[in-house]
Amino acid sequence: MKAPVAPETFQLTIPSQTRYLNLVTGLAKRASVVAGMDDATASKVSIAVDEAVTNVILHAYHGDSEHWVEIELCFVTKALEIHIWHTVDGLAENEIVLPDPSEYVKHPRKGGLGLLLMSRFMDEVHFAEANGRSECCMIKHVR
Amino acid sequence: MADLSIQVRDMDGIAVMQPEGFINAHTVRQFESALEDLVQSGRFTILMDCQGLSYISSAGLGAIMGLIEPIRENGGDILLCNLQRNVYSIFDTLGFTQLYRVFGSREEALQALAGKA
Repeated sequence: MKAPVAPETFQLTIPSQTRYLNLVTGLAKRASVVAGMDDATASKVSIAVDEAVTNVILHAYHGDSEHWVEIELCFVTKALEIHIWHTVDGLAENEIVLPDPSEYVKHPRKGGLGLLLMSRFMDEVHFAEANGRSECCMIKHVR
Repeated sequence: MADLSIQVRDMDGIAVMQPEGFINAHTVRQFESALEDLVQSGRFTILMDCQGLSYISSAGLGAIMGLIEPIRENGGDILLCNLQRNVYSIFDTLGFTQLYRVFGSREEALQALAGKA
């Protein structure tokens, strides 16, 4: 029996600065295409990654540019997994309340849209903490 | 190429804004500032021609949302045209296509505004 093939992964670590967002989103988009997604889906994945990394830089690190954000792209069977790690307290998955778009339209307000985009554009979004690090894991299946 | 460049031109009293590049947390201040300049100079009817906009994140949408109230209170509006498919998808997913008038071309938008007048 053959040993299972380990998923192919690529890692990128960036300073916690928004100037590097476009570098990360460009990589995520290209990775999505390589995984087998069409251009429209790849664009959605890249936006979700932009939102997730922005959350880390602006909300977890409060804009402090002295930290690092680790991004891992993992090619698994029929899916792309994206892991984003940072080293301060992250979001607790059970405390997240996504805005309701229909209510949002009735009562527009600024903010709260990034998580909604992530959840709409990805198939799965999870938050976890382990070994002193916080993780956002997003999965997009290839159809 | 710059991450974002913004041109604004006046067309019959309508401020036509053309962002080129992308709007995210890195470039949003530039975008927000351009919108604020228009509002402060009393130009409340703004057409965003998004032909050159490759993507907009929630930061950019928040900037629009943050200024729409004073704009509409002054009888103006923000209209959108020439959205690339992925940009339209972002607006639509968040319900912005119900909040803002979206046109396929600049001409259509200008005609609609002229019809209003």
